[in-house]
Amino acid sequence: MNAFRAHTAVAAVTVVVVWTCVPGIASAQDYAKWYKQSEQHFLELKQNAGGGTKMTWDKLPDWTGIWTRADGTRFDPNVPNYDPTTARLTPEYQARFEKKLADQKKGLEWDSLSYCLPAGFPRWLTEPFLREFIVRPEEVWWITEQQSEVRRIYTDGRGHLPEDEAYPLWEGDSIGFWDGDTLVVHTINNKEGQYNRGQPDYSDKVSVVEKIRKTNANTIEDDITVYDPLSLVEPWHVTNRYVRVTTPNLRINMWSCEENNNVIKTSDGATQFILKGEQGYKDPNKLIKGPEAPPTPNPK
Amino acid sequence: MKRVVLAAFLGAGMSVTASVPASAHHSSAAYDRDADVEVAGTVREFQYTNPHSWLFVEMVDKAGKTVDWGFEAEGPSTLLRAGIKISALKPGERVTVTGHPLKDGRPAALLVAVTKGDGSVLSTNAALRRGTGGKPVEVSSVP
Repeated sequence: MNAFRAHTAVAAVTVVVVWTCVPGIASAQDYAKWYKQSEQHFLELKQNAGGGTKMTWDKLPDWTGIWTRADGTRFDPNVPNYDPTTARLTPEYQARFEKKLADQKKGLEWDSLSYCLPAGFPRWLTEPFLREFIVRPEEVWWITEQQSEVRRIYTDGRGHLPEDEAYPLWEGDSIGFWDGDTLVVHTINNKEGQYNRGQPDYSDKVSVVEKIRKTNANTIEDDITVYDPLSLVEPWHVTNRYVRVTTPNLRINMWSCEENNNVIKTSDGATQFILKGEQGYKDPNKLIKGPEAPPTPNPK
Repeated sequence: MKRVVLAAFLGAGMSVTASVPASAHHSSAAYDRDADVEVAGTVREFQYTNPHSWLFVEMVDKAGKTVDWGFEAEGPSTLLRAGIKISALKPGERVTVTGHPLKDGRPAALLVAVTKGDGSVLSTNAALRRGTGGKPVEVSSVP
């Protein structure tokens, strides 16, 4: 019992010491305000892993191949499309979510992706299409085909960006460590967004702890805990799965959203198309030439 | 309830409403998923592109006027995973295409399936896919 208490006390002190030693965090009251819970979660996992596995090339897990998200696009895959969420939302975000669903029923739905903006994190986790991992001892890249969005997860021991240099990023600021074959990640400094269409919004104070591991030859699982003091009244825990794709000759190529995007937002907030032959249509066969030039005033 | 869009419709028993995968890039609210349209015509162009591919089919309507119908499909990698290569649809070939039309009546639809002259059916919905002569095709359990 005494030994257990002593161990717990050492762990608690260590968590506090480690937390205050992460670059840019110690003096950042805002950081503590927005991210303290997820940071503590992350550091407790690191503490439990004995500070993390010293990763070398020969110990890296084999995550090669092409992967895609399983189980649809719901952040909580256990919930069917367009059903209420399992997230416990704050009143403001609950109201926003309910309005979104009501608008959707009226056909009023718009997605920032249709402006060719990135999905951004954590929505990034829910996107379909192809994915790939580039795993190195000091850094992991997790790539999605859509818009060629790349998450860079630093495992070289660095901390997050100092607060006076930090600003919201599409894929956030991700640091991590290895616990054996499990990659543990902490992500902060994200842009506000939505988990996907028909799903709740999150604020730019969202932070996420992930435990990513290969559970069998064809499955990689991501155990995800989301913290967001503005949108959630308690952390949201979900598990997302990604499965291997084996189509012959399939590769991940540059994915340009502008290549063939003729989607527009109408004045009432709906999504509509400019069709081939209509004014404003961007013909994918003529992109290199650029848009039609406006009429030039006749110089005198 | 089925909405009348064109002379060529699918009967209720041939509904394909539940067959279209979610689009990642935009809302599909502009399409009427309760209506199915069938267009028989000639391939004009197959834009094998991101974020979506588009198949354009020329058909002659009841008034004898030539109309180009556009069918929106998923991007190249999703099509390839469904066995739909860029070489699968060539300009000039005869096809019959099914889809969910735009609600506003313009000649475009969300692609569901393409039946080629040899009877084969191309679709991202594995249940609709057919080989030459309309024969069933083996669908892999691996994505």
